[in-house]
Amino acid sequence: MSIWEKMLDLDRRWIFLLIGIACVVPFFTPLGLPILPSQEVIAIYDYIENLTTDNAIFVGFDFDPGTAAENMPMGVAVLRHAFARHIPVFITAYGPLGQGMAAMALEEITNEDSDDYYVYVNWEDWASIREQGITDRAGIEEAWVAAGNTLAENAHGWVFEGRDIAMLGYLPYFHLVILGMSSSIASQFPTDIGGNSLEEMPMYQDHKSLRDIDLAVTTSGSSACVAWITYGREKIGLPVAFGVTAVMATDYYIYMQSGQIIGQMGGLRGAAEYETLLLRDGYTKSPGKAFVGMDVQNIAHLLIIFLVILGNIAFFAGGFNKKTKLKGRR
Amino acid sequence: MSETIGIWVAAIFTIGIYSFLYKENPLYRLSEHLVVGISTGFGIAVTFTQVLKPKLIEPIVTGEHGAWLLLIPAILGLLYITRFFSGVAWLSRYPMAFLMGAGMGIGFPLSMKASVLRQLEASLVPLYEAGMPWDVVVGNIVMVLGTLAALIYFFFSKPHKGPFFGTGSKIGIWVIMVGFGATFGFTVMGRISLLIGRIQFLLGDWLHILK
Repeated sequence: MSIWEKMLDLDRRWIFLLIGIACVVPFFTPLGLPILPSQEVIAIYDYIENLTTDNAIFVGFDFDPGTAAENMPMGVAVLRHAFARHIPVFITAYGPLGQGMAAMALEEITNEDSDDYYVYVNWEDWASIREQGITDRAGIEEAWVAAGNTLAENAHGWVFEGRDIAMLGYLPYFHLVILGMSSSIASQFPTDIGGNSLEEMPMYQDHKSLRDIDLAVTTSGSSACVAWITYGREKIGLPVAFGVTAVMATDYYIYMQSGQIIGQMGGLRGAAEYETLLLRDGYTKSPGKAFVGMDVQNIAHLLIIFLVILGNIAFFAGGFNKKTKLKGRR
Repeated sequence: MSETIGIWVAAIFTIGIYSFLYKENPLYRLSEHLVVGISTGFGIAVTFTQVLKPKLIEPIVTGEHGAWLLLIPAILGLLYITRFFSGVAWLSRYPMAFLMGAGMGIGFPLSMKASVLRQLEASLVPLYEAGMPWDVVVGNIVMVLGTLAALIYFFFSKPHKGPFFGTGSKIGIWVIMVGFGATFGFTVMGRISLLIGRIQFLLGDWLHILK
């Protein structure tokens, strides 16, 4: 067996081991390679940057745990951006598992051990402020602080349930739900997942249907994102942005080309680019999970490229391109 | 305490799934079956508590005004179960027919617009206009000619010979291969991302080695 044949016959488990090592070591010796945000990610960021407290967005957690490593940082980054700018966010899920993912994202953002956490104020906790007739964002925060509540030093701000966020959750046949929400959000989700009436929420009073919504960001691990285009964008002109897995990214660039979406985050890299922008503008104090993972990604890619080149050298140098099949086990 | 147990369970099953890379083993099989089972169970629980209970069962039980109308979709839905009884299995075709008909009626016009007409419109771009940046000109030419070439490759009513069909289909296959290559590259990135996510969990949440 020649050396070329031995190389091509290498037990694939050695390659798995190498990739494993390449994905662990950079966590301990970060290279700090720069991440340059792409135009399609900047477009989403700038769009949200230009929204105010009078606007509102939808964030769809349209993925399940299988793609959470890619989609979750996108959802978390967009939520952080919206919370920082006090833009009301309606959270939905295309599948039942997506609702759990949304809850996990919120848990991450409100985790007190984090450098960049937000304090979640439950619907019932600020009932007395609503009873005074205060519904505007600045007024709510002012009354909340006047009531003796103080923000921890490492906290970014408050998130008032019903004013800053409404966790609507999952409903089946979500494309029909999108259609229904184009007339009235409350017709599809009379309450949030906690059972709080949507019609009583201040954020609903100004945004009763999808026609009053300024952006829908769908973080998706399946073709669910197309439903937002088909039934949201094409039906009522709802601006839509995608956060899709890397595997899907090439398939959905066409919607950028056609102008049907305002931007797209593709895979972990897209999420890392968004995190870079948040870090740049001071919305976060430390890099997010995607940002940290990109060093590892770069090293793993270099190793894969090296192995592909090595495999091709062995293939051609061994003359296997002239044979009908390789010798050996495989 | 419950969180710690959850993290340990998740860590053990993560290792169980990745143990397949060494060879198939019982822990991998157990992990795989649990993923499918728990996902289905979670889905059923969420659907029951958020859909069936508040939107069907409670309105009917409390006698809400007009709730009897809900019996129609409820009965249609129940007809699916007749699939399990060969004598009346044909009844399950009614909800399927309803869903297919309604789905086509609602979805077809909008899908056609979103996925076909808009894409056609986006392909009809000027190759050159005064003042257009050169990179846009090159991009438009590549896109228009590439789209045409790929379409020629899938045109099977004429033999792929001669300057138009022959050369066109050869360019077309190169364009398609470039597309596949880009997709493959993104797929590699995606798979590595998933591995990174799990390693972050194992080293961070489980072993607390990473912050």
